[in-house]
Amino acid sequence: MRGGHVWLATFALFPLVGAPLLKHPVFHRFGLVSRVVLAGGVGMAIVSWTMTVFALAGVRWGPTLLLVSVALAFALRLALSGASERVPFPRGRGEGQGEGRPATTVAALAIIAVSLLTALAATIAARSTSLDLVLFWGPKAQQFAAARTIDATFLSAPYIDYMHIYYPPLVTNVFALGAMVAGRFPWGAATLTFPLFLAATAFALPGILRNGARRPAAYGTTALVVSALSLLGIHASVAGNAEPFLFFFETLALALLLTPFARTVAGQFLAGLLLAGAAGAKVEALPFVGAAVVLFFVVLPAARRSPGPTLVRLLGPAALSLVPWFAFGASRKLFYGYYSYGRFLEIHWEHFGSVLSGLGTAFWNAGYALPVLVPLVVLLLTRGKTRRAILPLGVAVLLAGFFTFTYLHSATDPKVWIGWSAARIFSPLTVLFALAAHTAAQGEDGVEESSG
Amino acid sequence: MSRFDRRALLPLAGSAVLAAFSVAALPFSGGLFRAARTPYDASDSAYIAVDAWMVLKRAEPLIPPGASLVVRSEPADPSTDSYFHRFAVALLPDRRIVPAARWGQPTEPILLYETEYEVVVGRRPEEPPGRLLLEIPEGTIWKRGP
Repeated sequence: MRGGHVWLATFALFPLVGAPLLKHPVFHRFGLVSRVVLAGGVGMAIVSWTMTVFALAGVRWGPTLLLVSVALAFALRLALSGASERVPFPRGRGEGQGEGRPATTVAALAIIAVSLLTALAATIAARSTSLDLVLFWGPKAQQFAAARTIDATFLSAPYIDYMHIYYPPLVTNVFALGAMVAGRFPWGAATLTFPLFLAATAFALPGILRNGARRPAAYGTTALVVSALSLLGIHASVAGNAEPFLFFFETLALALLLTPFARTVAGQFLAGLLLAGAAGAKVEALPFVGAAVVLFFVVLPAARRSPGPTLVRLLGPAALSLVPWFAFGASRKLFYGYYSYGRFLEIHWEHFGSVLSGLGTAFWNAGYALPVLVPLVVLLLTRGKTRRAILPLGVAVLLAGFFTFTYLHSATDPKVWIGWSAARIFSPLTVLFALAAHTAAQGEDGVEESSG
Repeated sequence: MSRFDRRALLPLAGSAVLAAFSVAALPFSGGLFRAARTPYDASDSAYIAVDAWMVLKRAEPLIPPGASLVVRSEPADPSTDSYFHRFAVALLPDRRIVPAARWGQPTEPILLYETEYEVVVGRRPEEPPGRLLLEIPEGTIWKRGP
């Protein structure tokens, strides 16, 4: 077996690590396929956290870290031992109300399959590889695997100030774990994380959305999300970059927060773990996580009755995932937080026009802006959207504002910066518009109404 | 009764459009049915990454771990050289990579001459920097000194 195959095979470890938690009966509602993928996401977040804690403690990575990760997953399951919340679930009554129209689901599955195969073909043809893979994700992972830890000596070496050493550790940890098992870092296989995570999203999303809507709606929204991310990913060259991880964690977390299951302790805890995965993958997930949690309280009055515990379940895992990372950076005198590209609040309004035109050009170059425009048109034409749409729409508005605000901090004309980054960092908008439209398929309480 | 769920038609139609554009984005005439030589063959970064990748991968067995080297473009371009330094850090781990340029600023030439190896991406330099170890269409690899 070649190194690349072994490296890819290590991704099968993550569902095994997360399985103890997702085997809890309260999660059976997602269906087996969705649960396996969700276990993978949870497992990845736990393994990465364990690797970071090992590095902080000066313990070399080895098989022990997987044992510790599995033990953590069992501990999390114990924390949910009493969970048996009952929330409305439409599957039973859905029969005969659209479930009996398989043509919709078949068409959606066909479109999902085409989108996934297209992403795979583009990646294999080396059409969508991100330069960031060879600039910093790959070199860091390769070095960490060789050192069997997050190598502080390497990160403080001269001439590598371009490697964004403060970037959160999940992607490099996951890449490094595979490289340790495979014996080398396989550059080509690393690009396949784009179709891999897109497929994982496609497999998991219907099971989550089925908690608030019937099958045709769940598959229709999944088709929209996957096709938009496929087109955007091909044009914006995300293969080998952190965006596929972000697509995966952010999409599933937000979809989960829109379902009635998000009212439960287990639902909030699972969403929190997925948000922790996003926060561990990339810096720009932080505003996403913050906006999602704040708006969750806005759309769900019940959450405001016990804000403390809800906040802990939603934000606790993300905060905990970053604590050892910043402790590692500070203890090795490497970094003391996230860095920005300009002085905070030194806003260069003179670049506003340039930022807007740069964003327009960037979106146009990423598939003629279609990955954003098509979900937006679907959203605008969809009738019956509920108050829950505030959650994804609010996150979209806040993210767009935050990124524009960030670009305005550049002392020099940010057009080039926008050109290579905007399509990728604005990519969550595609998912958010699609999920906002999906709320029309749910009732006001997140459960589909009986009209069909 | 339609066999399609009315409320799912809109996202389905949208996703069909997006999927069609995804298919159209594939590099049908740019190597879709050929094995890629590098992860960047048909990418937007091909202009800067492919030739450097080809030369640096061939340099791997020729330049031993621990050795010092510089990677540079010919004709020299500090902006390109800044990228080549980063590619070398990635593709030649455990070697001491001296940048020919950083952030678009050329390095002092004296530092470059002290390296044991020189990897040149592009045409063969007029003045040989040492003993030629390898020449491929994408560049050359040289060892300085005896």
